[in-house]
Amino acid sequence: MSAIMQGLTAVIQPMTIVLVAIGVAVGIVFGSIPGLTATMAIVMFLPVTYSMTASEGISMLMALYIGGISGGLISAILLNIPGTPSSVATCFDGKPLADKGQAGKALAVGVIFSFLGTIIGIGLLVVLAPVLCDFALKFQAYEYCALAVFSLSMVIALTGRDMPKGLISAVMGALLATVGLAPIDSRPRFTFGLYQLNNGFALVVLLIGLFAISEVMKYAETVRQKQDFTIRENVKIKGVGITFKEFIGQIPNAIVSALIGVGIGILPGIGGGVSCMISYTVSKNTSKRRDLYGTGIIDGVVASETANNGTIGGAMIPLLSLGIPGDAATAMLLGGLQVHNVAPGPLIYQKSGDVVYAIFFAMVLAAIFMMLFMLLGMRFFVTVLKVPKNFLLPVVVVLCAIGAIGNANMLFDTYTMVAFGLMSYLLIKSKIPTVPMILGFILGPTFEQNLRRVSQLASSDPFWHHPIFCVLIAATVLVVIFSVRANIKDAKRAEAKEAAELAENGEQ
Amino acid sequence: MKNKQYKLDIAPGVVLALFSILYLARVPSIQEFTGLGSTPLTNRFVPYLWGSVLLLLSLWITVRGLRKRKRYLAEGGKPQKTDILGALKERWEVVASFVALALYVGFMDLLGFVITTIVYVFVQILILTPKEKWKKTYLPAVIVSVVSGILLFYVFRYLLNVLLPVGLLSVFGL
Repeated sequence: MSAIMQGLTAVIQPMTIVLVAIGVAVGIVFGSIPGLTATMAIVMFLPVTYSMTASEGISMLMALYIGGISGGLISAILLNIPGTPSSVATCFDGKPLADKGQAGKALAVGVIFSFLGTIIGIGLLVVLAPVLCDFALKFQAYEYCALAVFSLSMVIALTGRDMPKGLISAVMGALLATVGLAPIDSRPRFTFGLYQLNNGFALVVLLIGLFAISEVMKYAETVRQKQDFTIRENVKIKGVGITFKEFIGQIPNAIVSALIGVGIGILPGIGGGVSCMISYTVSKNTSKRRDLYGTGIIDGVVASETANNGTIGGAMIPLLSLGIPGDAATAMLLGGLQVHNVAPGPLIYQKSGDVVYAIFFAMVLAAIFMMLFMLLGMRFFVTVLKVPKNFLLPVVVVLCAIGAIGNANMLFDTYTMVAFGLMSYLLIKSKIPTVPMILGFILGPTFEQNLRRVSQLASSDPFWHHPIFCVLIAATVLVVIFSVRANIKDAKRAEAKEAAELAENGEQ
Repeated sequence: MKNKQYKLDIAPGVVLALFSILYLARVPSIQEFTGLGSTPLTNRFVPYLWGSVLLLLSLWITVRGLRKRKRYLAEGGKPQKTDILGALKERWEVVASFVALALYVGFMDLLGFVITTIVYVFVQILILTPKEKWKKTYLPAVIVSVVSGILLFYVFRYLLNVLLPVGLLSVFGL
């Protein structure tokens, strides 16, 4: 009980409330501008939190995350360009609604159901995280080893048709994690005599390179392309935007979508981008009005926005209880937790209970601020869409460099930041996804440490004494078999389609 | 025709295969620990594992790319020349951004955060602006770069205690 009170007290401090409000506002701005993401907002503000208390700093990062995911709907509806990948499916009905002159309604629906999705996600996080923590307390070397293998196997399930490239990314992450002192015996590996590499590469620096620097470079590619879109500035939200009847009518859709969002958030490596698409598809396929999806009905906006915000709570569940991030933004939050000496895992409630409860309260506060800011200040956020990125991005890079330096007060980290940025850009150009790399980087050391312990224990404590290990390994085998089959089918289908297109072109 | 994209398999496949071979070649230089408390799987096992898996995956996509190329040529496609210089010229903004960033972090220790940031932000703004708009951009770019360089230095070094390098400005007793 005292931890709950401590968490609440930390969040209701005027300073924390102000930080959460700033975090939400900046997050919405970053979410709404296409090309800037929630992850980038967290990267930018990470160095700002270095000198704060853990509760203040992480509350602010959470606010940035919630604001960032929610802000994406603004450009999705007004520009037909999703501000973040999480709002891809919001375009499908948001844009047609805007074309019908109902942009205000679409935005209001998006905001309200984003709030609802966030709250449902937080509710499930509060309920499920301690359960998972209690369960994970039973984990020993065998179980952790199998958990790492299972989580890595999810990469195969998620990379779709191009499985080898997804795996390459994950393995590269694991490979990068071998730099530094080896687990258990602390012998240096691949340090090339540089003392700066003894602790290995910092997660935060890798994330900055992968998700911030590469974004700036991607923008640099488009400098000469004309940005051909118009912003609807004349957006009015009347009252709360929708009628009570409409709201009640959407509740079942919202609940299913939120549950899909939370479920997908829990799975390692998948973010809001996937959850909004799956939720939109499920909502469409189960609806009586399925023919109207895509023509501008609020059901589509509700499905997408509730799910992507539900993902926030879902992604926090494995992050807090197992230390496994759900997506790129939560990987950044993991970096934030590490900076503030909060170790996620089954003992987090015992060791940093106050911070965990502060995170929960801060998430609720951030969700409330998000709804208020977006309903009342939509005109401001619409204006922000016009901020010239050629001025904004260089400052973002400078903040990234500060974040890298401040991580361990070493200038050396900025060199690795540039190297990771270049690596990330080249990987993106080669169509190799970068998110699996984070999973590999985080899970690689867990796998190695526990695999080596298992090798020590195997003779005295065989694996069949560990049912959780056996279940996780069986689940891994099933995931691999089904994913490989699905990938092969997808690849064949795509090849057949290509061949058909080719034949068609030949006939013409 | 998607088969044209065979290069997206061959080029990364070859580079990553070479990288994994270099990585695997370094593994024997890791000092093994065999004393009390050592584990049967040594500190070389996992690097060997990841290095080998990466090599296999790289070879996989290389072979896949070569097969795509073969099919592409069999379908009457013309072999594509690799014009690295042309590609770099086409993306000069990206190349310039990386060079500017590398110089920025490379000179930060010597020149200090403020000077390098002012120069970097100014140059990067110009890189990210179409050439025809440069004339109008000079003044706002100078203002943004000077304000951000000085403001960020003071906020982070003196208010948030991040040890940003002072460099040349140390003569002013900063």
